[in-house]
Amino acid sequence: MVESRWFRRAGPAVAAVGAVALLASTTFGAPERAWEPAPCSGVARIGGSTPGTWYRIDPILGAGARTGQRLVMGAAGDQATRAMALGAESFAAGPFGGTILVGTDDGSRSRLSLVDVGLACAWRLDASTDVVRTATITPDGTTVLEHRVDRRTRADLGVWQRALDGSTSPTRLLAPIPADDRFGPTWLTHLAWSEDGRSLAVQSCGEVACRVRILDPRGGAVRLVADPSLGDLVGLNGDRLVAHGACRGLPCPLISVDLGDDSMLLLDHAAGQAVLSRDELGRSVVVHEVGAGGDALRIVGLDGRDPHDLAADPDGRRLVAGAARSAGATEPVRGWVLFGPDGRLPTDGSVRPVLRHVPDGRAVPLSEVSR
Amino acid sequence: MISTNMHVRRAASLLLMAALTVGLGAGTTTISAHSPDPVLGAEVFAQDARLLYDWRSGATPPAAFRTAINAAADDIKATRASRAAVFLHDVNGSSPIGYGTGTCGVNGIACFTRNAPTGFTMWFREQGRVYDWGTLKWCQMYSTAPNGCYDVETVALDEFGHVEGLGHHVNFADDSDYTDAVVQTYSRTKPRDGYDMHVLGVCDVATLQMRYDIPLASSPYSTCLDVATVLTLSRSSSSVAYGGSVTFTALLKVVSDTDYGRLSGNAVSGRSVRLQRRPPGTTTWTTVATMTPTSPTGSYVYSMRLYSSAEFRAVFSTPTTEGLRGDVSSVTSVSVGSCSTAPCPLSTGQ
Repeated sequence: MVESRWFRRAGPAVAAVGAVALLASTTFGAPERAWEPAPCSGVARIGGSTPGTWYRIDPILGAGARTGQRLVMGAAGDQATRAMALGAESFAAGPFGGTILVGTDDGSRSRLSLVDVGLACAWRLDASTDVVRTATITPDGTTVLEHRVDRRTRADLGVWQRALDGSTSPTRLLAPIPADDRFGPTWLTHLAWSEDGRSLAVQSCGEVACRVRILDPRGGAVRLVADPSLGDLVGLNGDRLVAHGACRGLPCPLISVDLGDDSMLLLDHAAGQAVLSRDELGRSVVVHEVGAGGDALRIVGLDGRDPHDLAADPDGRRLVAGAARSAGATEPVRGWVLFGPDGRLPTDGSVRPVLRHVPDGRAVPLSEVSR
Repeated sequence: MISTNMHVRRAASLLLMAALTVGLGAGTTTISAHSPDPVLGAEVFAQDARLLYDWRSGATPPAAFRTAINAAADDIKATRASRAAVFLHDVNGSSPIGYGTGTCGVNGIACFTRNAPTGFTMWFREQGRVYDWGTLKWCQMYSTAPNGCYDVETVALDEFGHVEGLGHHVNFADDSDYTDAVVQTYSRTKPRDGYDMHVLGVCDVATLQMRYDIPLASSPYSTCLDVATVLTLSRSSSSVAYGGSVTFTALLKVVSDTDYGRLSGNAVSGRSVRLQRRPPGTTTWTTVATMTPTSPTGSYVYSMRLYSSAEFRAVFSTPTTEGLRGDVSSVTSVSVGSCSTAPCPLSTGQ
């Protein structure tokens, strides 16, 4: 692998920037020096030994306009964090077994890398003249899936796949989504795996409403859910999809779609943030805020069964939703859901994120569960 | 088919979110095009509540945004035509408005949370955010706004409308009524018609009026409404001597109907209510006078001397300038005694 300027080694002292204490929800200017990861050795791989890996991404503003993004990464219980400066068009995804997939575009090429947070290094995965808008890694850790748009026209180019170890060239896995006036131009494409890891949800959102294509990456089957009453995806299990309604804010209806017959079940008419988790029997449940205040929580099965309350966080932390909403994520821990200040991962360090155990509601610091 | 395990109240059914009416269909009341905006959320703020907002710490919008957002707050106050909440910037405001990532999720350019009756939050995506289709441009961030930019004041007005409890307006298929509401599912960019609306649309106001009431009994009802009225007529006496005086009192009210929300049963004053008469047993009505508004609110009065028996009714014609539906009262009769003392003037229609 050729070492690029972007990958040049930085000293250890630069690595631990303690950016969490500095980071606000929007970052003005770039006061601290950005971390540039050293190249990792060998072929790219996931499954490192760093538990509780997390990231958060925020815009960097100059004169009120986005000039780039700052990606902060860390591991639960580790005070040291690392902050990378990315281009204005950039993304992060994961974590995937201690790694974070990072994409950034310089106006002529999109570059993809995989950062191993524990090893403080990165593999350069790909560079494309297409714009790679977002990407993910298959649960088996072998393949990178990328959503691309055309650099000049911004037309959807579909979802592409390539081997994580670089042994194969990118090939198209999923065609561009056809235009549909009910949804308008696509603003954001989001890739999310089903709970069992067998299906990939490719969510294409217009300004408010979203379409979801559920793809079996192995068999190639694609199922389209295209109802303008549906908004952002909360999660997907084998037979149901949960999404907010097509709202411009919260509270918003929470809807469960039976993928067998397309029937819809209204789980809550005015829900706040929501995530999928598991109950004590290992069944999929939705944990969601009741209303937008965040001071009431509810757990309900994806089929509407057994709704019951979950006590709110006594210190005012909010449920941290998926990456599309919270612009951050941590390694998932089955049966636990994350709470943080303002519903996001750490900001100013004054309030630490906690994990709540869905079956019994107990709360522990993020680092304890992750270990 | 949607099934629900939640109890959806009748009051909400009129207005249930557009999100639910489009695709979830059965079991909800469908909002048709050019109706008042659907209602968002069951809870509302207090009438004329003052919602104080401030800029979110660490995520303060740029100056051009702040100016435009404050202007939108003024737009709400100036054009709400109802007792909806007003928004005021205050450094001690408890409702934060931020700029940047927030927790909008996949939503496009701005988002909100409403926590009626206590407060709200609002976020605006930052200038230069890149989407699949391209780069977000806000008009206020340029000295000469380029085509394709979004107007901050309009979008803020839309968000304030949501906070008040307005859902997205349901337009005609050709969007020809787009400017009847600023609270829209899809925002327009410069130079499309409506991209820079700085007033609430009539269908925004209609729902605000139903949820918060009109300011005064004499205030006009939004032309996006079609509110039925009921007009009653009473007289001071059912029989009078020849030349005796009778006072007619009409009472104009909005029909009592929960679908009208806070407008239900409202007294309606300051309108034109006409008194008409006809000889008993005939069919042709003649307007006698336009009745004079009086107290109590919604009452209209007219006194006259009668020289012949007659039937009377009051008429409130459907106005062209507001969303009230006219009504005609039931007929009431007054019998007049014979002239017993000369000279007896000929009946002059009175």
